[in-house]
Formats: sequence, C-alpha cells, structure tokens
Amino acid sequence: MVERLSLGPASVSELAKPLPMTLSAVVQHLKVLEEAGLVTSQKVGRVRTCTLDIGAMTQVERWVAERKRFWEQQYDQLEAYLARTAPQEGEQ
Amino acid sequence: MTVTNAMFTIERTLKASPARVFAAYSSLEAKSAWFKTPSDIETLNRDFDFRVGGVERFRARWPSGMVSDFQATYHDIVENERIILVYDLFHDADKLSVSLMTLEFRAEGDGTRLIHTEQGTYLSGGVEAVKGREHGTTWHVENLVALIEGREAKPFS
Repeated sequence: MVERLSLGPASVSELAKPLPMTLSAVVQHLKVLEEAGLVTSQKVGRVRTCTLDIGAMTQVERWVAERKRFWEQQYDQLEAYLARTAPQEGEQ
Repeated sequence: MTVTNAMFTIERTLKASPARVFAAYSSLEAKSAWFKTPSDIETLNRDFDFRVGGVERFRARWPSGMVSDFQATYHDIVENERIILVYDLFHDADKLSVSLMTLEFRAEGDGTRLIHTEQGTYLSGGVEAVKGREHGTTWHVENLVALIEGREAKPFS
C-alpha cells in the first residue's frame, strides 16, 4: 500500500484492488497510517484520495509515533501474557 | 537543539481484572514475562524498585554497539488503579526525551480499560543524533509500514 502511494496519490479503491484484503481492512490500515502522520487523505465527491506524506513529519514526530507503536506492540504481548496466565474457572 | 512537547494516549480493553493488570507491572518477574526485548541485546543494568520514589532502570547494549538507557522514577502508585512515573531516555550520551507516563486501570465489566498516557518533552538534538543509526528514520518508517501491512514489525533494536 505504501509502495503504491510512494508512486503518487491514489484513491482508496485503487489501493484496495491489488491487495488480498477486504476494503474495510484497507480503510483500517489507512486510518493507522493517517494517525501516524504518514498519509493524508482528501474526499472529493465520493472519492477519497490518499497521499503519502512522510516528508511532512519531523524527525521528532516520527520518533513520537514510533514510541507509540513500540507501546502498542508491548501491549499485544501484555494481552497474550494475561491470556496465558488467566485463572482457570472456579480458581478465582 | 529544539524542544518539542507531545502527548499520546493508548487505550486497551483487557480481558483481566484491574488487579491482574496491575500485577503485570508491579514485579520484575511479571513485567519481564510480557515486556518484550530482543534476545540479541546485552543487558547492562536492570533495576526495579516498585514503590513511590523507587527507580526502574533498563540499560542495554544493542548489536550496533549503541547503548540505550531508560531511567524512571515512580511518582505515584495506587494499587490496582494507577501508576505514574517519570522517565529519561538516552541513546549513548544523547538524552532523547523526558516523559511523564500515567497508567490507569479502570474496571470495565469483567475486564479492565488500560489507559496509557505519555506527555513528553522531546529534545531534537538527541533525536536527530539517532538518525543514521539503527533507530533512524528508515527503521521507524519500515516498522510503521510493517505494522500497517500486517507484517511482524522488527523488534525494537
């Protein structure tokens, strides 16, 4: 997706077309990219066009986004740990 | 050197009681079971004194030779409810940030809403010094892209 965007702006459906994922999964991924500040999007009529915007981020913004991603990854581990150590029924 | 203030929040709904989530943070044994660090780093200092005024430190050497140093002090601990700490992050001699981290554990049904808020002061001289090393721009972008595209991100190395 990012590779495609590095060639130039594209609509959401253009991005989704070659990918083996549902449109809603593509939209979800774009949302994360937008939150990370890597992609901006603009809606004209019924078409949402996405643009890669890595250059707009400062080094610090990127670092902050990375810290956030780092913690998200740690919390995936926390979830797995809590599931692994969950008390069996009747034990709690 | 410039100073940038930034804040971010992470929220997770966890299938565990606040007491179990709190316990995952309050001992070194439990925290080490989930807080993932790559196997190829060399731990130089690991302190864990979980009480108000106590210090947590994690200093390690990475395969590149870079030494990262996380130095935290616990400022507020309310059992099963919240943990507040302040930490400095260094890479070699460069201080990258000074951050206030607040962890809240709110009971929600059978589970817990975890709210992790960080208010940080980022020192760009330090952050830019990172550029060109393993932790530089390429690595950040590659990992963000890996995350988005559903691939496993490279470990924090």
